[in-house]
Amino acid sequence: MTDYQKIELKSGIEIHQQLDTNKLFCSCPSEIRQEKPDFFVKRELRPLAGELGRIDPAAIFERKKRKHYVYEGYNYTTCLVELDEEPPHSINEDALNIALLVAKMLNCKFPDVVQVMRKTVIDGSNTSGFQRTALIGYDGFIKTSFGKVGIQTVILEEDAGRRTAETPDSVTFRLDRLGIPLVEIATAPDCKTPEQVKETASLIGGMLRSTGKVMRGIGTIRQDVNISIKGHPRIELKGVQELYQLPKIVELEAQRQMEEVKLRGKNKLEGHVRNVLPDLSTKFLRPMPGSARMYPETDLPLIEIDNHKIASMKLPESPEKTREKLKHLKLSPDLVNQLAGSEELAMFLTFAKRFPKLNPNQIATTLLVTPKEIKRKLQLPEFEVPEEAFTMIFKALTNNQIVKESIPAILEEIAKHPKEITQVISKYKLLSEAELKQEIAKIKMEFKDIPKEKLIGIAIGKLRGKADAQKIIALLKK
Amino acid sequence: MKFNTGDKVEVKTKEGKFVGFVMPSASEEFIALKLESGYNLGLKLAKGVSVKKIGTLGKEKQPSIRPPIKKNLPNIVIITTGGTITSKVDYTTGGVSPLTKPEDVLLATPELLDIVNIKKVISPFAVFSEDMAAREWQIIAKEVAKELNQKDISGVIVTHGTDTLHYTAAALSFMLKNLNKPVALVGGQRSSDRGSFDGGMNLICAANYCKSNIAEVAIVMHGNSSDNFCIASRGTNVKKMHTSRRDAFRPINELPLAKIWPEGKLELINKNSKTRDNNKKAEADTKFEGRIALVKFFPGANPEILSHFIDKGYKGIIIEATGLGHVSTNPFNKKNSWLEKIKEATKKGIFIGFAPQCLYGRLDPYVYSAARQLLDAGVCYLDSMLSETAYIKLGFVLAHSKNRAETKKLMLKNISGEIVKQILPESYLY
Repeated sequence: MTDYQKIELKSGIEIHQQLDTNKLFCSCPSEIRQEKPDFFVKRELRPLAGELGRIDPAAIFERKKRKHYVYEGYNYTTCLVELDEEPPHSINEDALNIALLVAKMLNCKFPDVVQVMRKTVIDGSNTSGFQRTALIGYDGFIKTSFGKVGIQTVILEEDAGRRTAETPDSVTFRLDRLGIPLVEIATAPDCKTPEQVKETASLIGGMLRSTGKVMRGIGTIRQDVNISIKGHPRIELKGVQELYQLPKIVELEAQRQMEEVKLRGKNKLEGHVRNVLPDLSTKFLRPMPGSARMYPETDLPLIEIDNHKIASMKLPESPEKTREKLKHLKLSPDLVNQLAGSEELAMFLTFAKRFPKLNPNQIATTLLVTPKEIKRKLQLPEFEVPEEAFTMIFKALTNNQIVKESIPAILEEIAKHPKEITQVISKYKLLSEAELKQEIAKIKMEFKDIPKEKLIGIAIGKLRGKADAQKIIALLKK
Repeated sequence: MKFNTGDKVEVKTKEGKFVGFVMPSASEEFIALKLESGYNLGLKLAKGVSVKKIGTLGKEKQPSIRPPIKKNLPNIVIITTGGTITSKVDYTTGGVSPLTKPEDVLLATPELLDIVNIKKVISPFAVFSEDMAAREWQIIAKEVAKELNQKDISGVIVTHGTDTLHYTAAALSFMLKNLNKPVALVGGQRSSDRGSFDGGMNLICAANYCKSNIAEVAIVMHGNSSDNFCIASRGTNVKKMHTSRRDAFRPINELPLAKIWPEGKLELINKNSKTRDNNKKAEADTKFEGRIALVKFFPGANPEILSHFIDKGYKGIIIEATGLGHVSTNPFNKKNSWLEKIKEATKKGIFIGFAPQCLYGRLDPYVYSAARQLLDAGVCYLDSMLSETAYIKLGFVLAHSKNRAETKKLMLKNISGEIVKQILPESYLY
């Protein structure tokens, strides 16, 4: 076991979360598109005036061999703002309010005036050559079970274009992602163990989700981790995919740094950025970037922050309070963990209230666990059960029209035939007394030469999900 | 609590302590600070807030450059007049200032060094596009003519704000007589502080235009939204057709003179252009009558609008007329007929010219009888002339004609390609 106190582990995280609103500086929907783009625009980005500081032939040569960029757009979801053909519209109020709420949840302080800045970006991922970004909150904290972790900044900024292709002399970006609002939360390097890093990320993630206004799914949240130990400068890790990987990643990086310090001594070590690989080891990506050039976005007015508005913002229920509430419903600890901070939480609470006869554990399992199992079994990329399907299932279950054992089969069939929810559910409805008697009579006729003990097995198999097993046995014995 | 822009200060508020550089603030109620992270924020200078100066900001060092002269390259002159294309941003304060030295232009667009020698950069003034008027057009015309007549100069680039670029292009088209060499007018729709600055490619294409044999005043800017090529459009038949797109400047009623690629290729598209003659001497004939107006007719417009100009002694008015050339002559409310007011004006010797508010196509007074009435009232139908071009031409012509008959004759004479005799189908919405 590594003694993290002894090696003075210091770690902080940076979380980027997409918000579920329209784009930050135009009215386009924040929609990731998979279809073939409708149009392409070719651009170049010029190194900025005076940036090279010289105009000798070598500098001109550098310019000649520079890459050009191709931007892919869509007829109804790309406008002139993403194309850098129109000044930005006023900041999206919804996104601003979510960012302010997040900053408030993280106990941040607020500037009196927010100024949107242009942060120079030269890799082509922004058509303008810069990213618009604004400091919304600073100097906050969250409480973890290991102690307080400082929040350095809460920033609201626009997401970059999505890289879709690359050739030696060009890079292609899709404009669907450009401009989607992102909240960036940077913590102080206050985490002292890998577990604390995980808890911090988990808490912040839960807070973001509890606003009900963040995007869900692959690529909508990205996190970077900063790690240093005694004698080793800070290393930034990019590409952390899943929360549960965090402790292992931090542990491995701390070990790597210990080796480095042992091998090379602290004098030759330099902070840099590393990429997390699928096996959770890391690989050198690039040197630590210098501070980016940032200057005011002169096309946008200053934003005065209304303290009264912030004071009146209602905070979503804290994750701890939610857990208490769930425990009260006698949910298993495992389901409490899965539900707290999940997207399905609100739906669960609604259903639990609406169908009081049902066991909350059954509801939670149906909402959270079963769909995931089916997704895995059928190897579906996405599987979202429509809310009305859940409603119909819980209604049928309450009225004893289906048995709980049928639910996995019902959901599996819905996954295969998403448009036939009613038909699928009625297929699994229990037979009425009369219908059941009729079915048993039929089976008896069909298998009249078969011994009684075997007939029970056949009948239960045939009527699975349609009648209670005990009832079948009783009827067969008659 | 005294502090100046650029001071490094420590601000104490009840929220905490901030260290940063003071930035220009829009209001005295706030102090604008640039924090170490690069972000700016504003803090209320309320009671209990203290500001302490702890240092000053170092000046951003300007690299010094001496552009080399390459013997095998043609020489050009750049005249800067202001606008987005030749302004630079101080990345620290966000302040904007004009470029004045050749090296400044080269820093933004060093590729020019491979295409031409920039012999000099002249900055007679720096104004916003919308602040330009006759005085500025006259100065530019004189400077351009002077430089064009230098033996070793191949062409002149004028950089300019984009809003009224086409007015200046028209003014130069009339004021530069005997034009011997290319004159390129260039603007930028994106500022030069950003990587997506469009003026760079526009300047490169303009430099290539200056090497060409087209002796015309042309606006040289993006051909489409991509950074593929520029188009050079004749100075009298071009208009800013979009508030913000790179390819805002479109030729109207004719094809562009040429397509120009930044790599140097130039494709002549419109054969109707004058050819370079280095032996000719260009002349700046800059006399201009300023008492002229441009008025747009709109449904329900009261002709009293014209009274102001008549009473103030204006010499001529261009009216943007509807369709083939109409203003109200027979409305339900008789007071809104323009016929009598126009008659009153022409009787007083005021020139009344009609230009198409449709932009595309030419006027024709013979299709409807109402227009014939206007013709009889003395209205001069200006064919395919853009209203902005007609306005500029009127100022020029009035300063060069002895009487009304001559004014009319000159207005209908094709001086600088402003009347398109043959309108080709593909010129529409080019």
